Order: sequence, then structure tokens, then C-alpha cells
Amino acid sequence: MIDVQLFSTFETTGFLEMAISTLEKKGIKKESIFAVPLDNRAEERKIFDNLHRSDGTSLIDIGMGLATAFSVIGASIGFKLAWGPIYWGLIGAFVGFVLGFVIRLFLELVIKKKKRVLKGIHSEVILIIDCEESQAELVEDILWSHFALGIAKVK
Amino acid sequence: MDNYINDNTARRYKAHVSIFGTTQLFLKNPYIIAWWSAAFPGFGHMLLSKYLRGYALFIWEVVVNIHAHVNSSMIYSFQGNIDMAKEVLDTRWLLMYIPVYLFGIWDSYRTTVDMNKIYLLAEREEHRFNSFSLGALEVNYLDKRNPLLSLMWSLFIPGLGQLYIHRILTAFFVIVWLVIFYYYSHVQEAVVLLFLGKVKEATSVLNPEWLLFIPSHYGFATYDSYINTVENNKLFEKDLSKHLIENYQSKSFKILKGQKVK
Repeated sequence: MIDVQLFSTFETTGFLEMAISTLEKKGIKKESIFAVPLDNRAEERKIFDNLHRSDGTSLIDIGMGLATAFSVIGASIGFKLAWGPIYWGLIGAFVGFVLGFVIRLFLELVIKKKKRVLKGIHSEVILIIDCEESQAELVEDILWSHFALGIAKVK
Repeated sequence: MDNYINDNTARRYKAHVSIFGTTQLFLKNPYIIAWWSAAFPGFGHMLLSKYLRGYALFIWEVVVNIHAHVNSSMIYSFQGNIDMAKEVLDTRWLLMYIPVYLFGIWDSYRTTVDMNKIYLLAEREEHRFNSFSLGALEVNYLDKRNPLLSLMWSLFIPGLGQLYIHRILTAFFVIVWLVIFYYYSHVQEAVVLLFLGKVKEATSVLNPEWLLFIPSHYGFATYDSYINTVENNKLFEKDLSKHLIENYQSKSFKILKGQKVK
């Protein structure tokens, strides 16, 4: 019986837990699974948070606030203007949002120090599976099918 | 059914997943929260998940504002018509508006500062909390959602973004009031007329007082659903990391120092 180990990296998503659960169902023991959640390097603030990544600074906070304020003012004055309150309310909201967004962007990019960029999806968890060589292919398939970012087999 | 029965062994909990929503402490900027209270009393408190006082302040705002004609006065003021701005106000209702309005701003600011401290302590304590709830009425669990989708649905109809992330109490309240504002402001009729190119008629059909409630409703709903989606995602990640560390770091596990093979 020859042991092999499969090293893989994942994002922190539900698929990772699914992968581990499927491995256990296929007979891999809990003690043979080793998971290391990584502390990821602080990165440059992104414009919008997404499913994979969010950095705690909400770039829309000032924008939404100003959008609301400008929209109220725009709609009020709009009653007197040719285009009416709805168009002016929407214009106000848009102008307010862009203005707030630019202010926030300025604060992040100019006032706060620039940090090194790390773009795209990156590894958040290292997962190591210890198994017999005969199972290696199955394990590898399970890892890939649950969106492992990378896998290496060590013998 | 929950996956954790609270036995009150924690001094503080940082989150709670229930049938009605995911309640979570996280760092917030007190000025931003105060701003939402200024835009519409009650919104600041709803952002803090303090619903009952949020609802109370909100309903108070609608009733007193409409009777005192504060919105009408604001519109005249923005138009520079100060005489009408004074004229339109109903002094039978006006004075009670001011203290409650200021209280909403002050109280949400103060609460945010306090809850930020509580968050930091709860985060360090790292006590287990309920993260799964299955019941006859609803199912709620920690999950990852896309903040941009929250944004999109909120811009279509405020409240839908909250439904997407299972923030039932805000979703229901926001949608009910949106319908009321839509109805009394005649805004949807105006939009139809705008599509037909009848700008003058669109303006004349609107009820300005009720229309003025709508921008802050959209702004709040969008902001609330967006930041909560982001924070729920972070909570999910922390919860999963903790689970992995507790369950998948066996002492007997040995790293194999072999060679990488295909």
C-alpha cells in the first residue's frame, strides 16, 4: 500500500465543504484531511465587492448618501423646470452617486497609502488529502469537480 | 430547528441566524448611519438591526411630516420660494417634528459607536453562534451571495435586495411602504406619461409631498442590502474557516515529503 498526498487550494465557499463531505463519504478518514485557512494579504481596495472578495470598505457609502440627498433636491427643483421632478430626481441621484463615489475613490487612492495589487480569484484555503494510491484519481476528480484552484499529487 | 441552542455561555455573540434573518454585528461608520437617520428617521436604526425603534421612528416621520407639510416646505425652500415654505407649514403639527427627528440622528450615531465596541469584543471572544435555522415558515443559513445582485434588485424594487439575502424584516417593511409611497405620489402614472413624452402632464399628476419620500427609500434599501450582503459573505468565510480549523487539523496528520507526480 503506497500512500500519496494531494495538495489543493480552494476559495472559501460552500463547494469546499461539499468536497470534504464527498471525500469522507468515499471513505477518506477525517484524520487524513488537513485544511489550512490562509490569512490573505491586504490588497488594494476594489471598486465593488464581489462574491469572492470584499474588503470592508464600502465604496458606495458616500455615493448612496449623496445620491439620496441630490435626488430630493433635484426632484424639488424639478417641479419648476422643463423636464419635471422625475427626470431631475434621477439626474440628481446619478450626479450625487458619481460625486460621492469620486470622493470615496479619492480618499482610498490618494489619502490612504497604496498597497500592492493582488487581482482576481485567489487561494484562501490549503487542503491536503492523505490517501492510498488507488484512491488518488477519485480524490483528484472530487477536488476538481468542486472547483479546486490547483492540485498537486505528491508520492 | 437550530444547530446551536443558546445556553448563554458567551458574554457576547457576534451573530445570530434565525428564521427572520441573519443578524450580525460588524463595524459601521457612525456618520454614515447618522446620515441615513437624517435622510429618513428610522433608517439608521434599521441598518443597525434595531427594527422596532426603526419602524416606530419611520412611521412617526411619515405621519407627522405629511400633516405638518415638512416635505412641501422643503420643496419650496429648494425652489427659493421662502414665503411659501413658511406659509405651507402647519404649526399644529410642526414643533413635535424637530426633537424626534434630531433624536433619531443622535441615537443612531451613539448606538453605532457602542455597537462597534461590542463587535470588537464579540469578535475576540469568538463564541459559537447559531448559523442554521430550519422551520415551518422559512429556512435561513450562512451563504455567499453576490453584492451586485443585491444592488440590482434593490434598484428595481427596494426590498427585493433584502429578500435575496434573507433580511425579511427590512424587506417586508420597505416593500409595504414603497407601495404606499408609489400610490400616493402617483409616480408610476408620471413614469408612464414620461415614456409617452408628456413631460408637463407627468409633472402635474405627481403629488410632491409623497414623491419626496421615495429617493431616500431607494437609497437606503440599496445601501442596506449591499453592505449586508458583503458582511454576510465575510461571516460565512469566518465560520467555514473556524469549522475547518476545529475539525480538519488532526495532530496525527503527517506531511508527505515525496515528489510531485502527475
